Amino acid sequence: MATDDVTRRGDRLGRSGLPLRPGPRGRRLRTAVIGAVLAGYAWAAGAAVPFSTTSLVLVLIPGVVIAAIAYAWPPERIPAPDRLDITGMFWWVIAVAALFEWEASAYKDNSLPWHPSLTDLINPMIGPHIVKSAAILLWIMVGWALVRR
Amino acid sequence: MIMSTRAITIAGFIIVIAAMFVLEFLARRPGSRIPTLGQWLGYLMRPRIGRVLILLGWWWLGWHYFAR
Repeated sequence: MATDDVTRRGDRLGRSGLPLRPGPRGRRLRTAVIGAVLAGYAWAAGAAVPFSTTSLVLVLIPGVVIAAIAYAWPPERIPAPDRLDITGMFWWVIAVAALFEWEASAYKDNSLPWHPSLTDLINPMIGPHIVKSAAILLWIMVGWALVRR
Repeated sequence: MIMSTRAITIAGFIIVIAAMFVLEFLARRPGSRIPTLGQWLGYLMRPRIGRVLILLGWWWLGWHYFAR
């Protein structure tokens, strides 16, 4: 709507007099632009040759950016619970411990074909460029979700 | 039919990961005592050291799968 970008009472204004937070239309546009940039980045990173300096740098950049945002410009965080239900949390502990144990047993056995590690199973799956790029995009989004926690 | 050791290993991973999805589903039911993945990660990330370690773990996953 035409009134989407109109300053409302309670909006925090920047030095220019414009609201610091964009309206719904501005938010959609900003989300679309960020999404396009991240998708392009993931596509480029997905094309990098493994074990190359380029692939290392392309993985380092999101890490540095996320760390910088978390340290210097932390976004509004989703409040964490003050305490967790021990019984409920126990189920998660079992699942996570089982995953680590299963992975550790494969790793200990040198990830032989008859006892592959999770990495051995996932690497062929993310071989195609488009799948790897999608996985990188998902990884970046998980990083952003973690920063908000 | 006898499953090969490889098939058993893969089935183990599938079962554990599927169990995590089930837990997340159960956690999202109203009144559930099970925390969601986001809730317990958020709880672990309350102290600064927890935040740093979780973010390092996230970055390590990216390096492990996408740079190697």
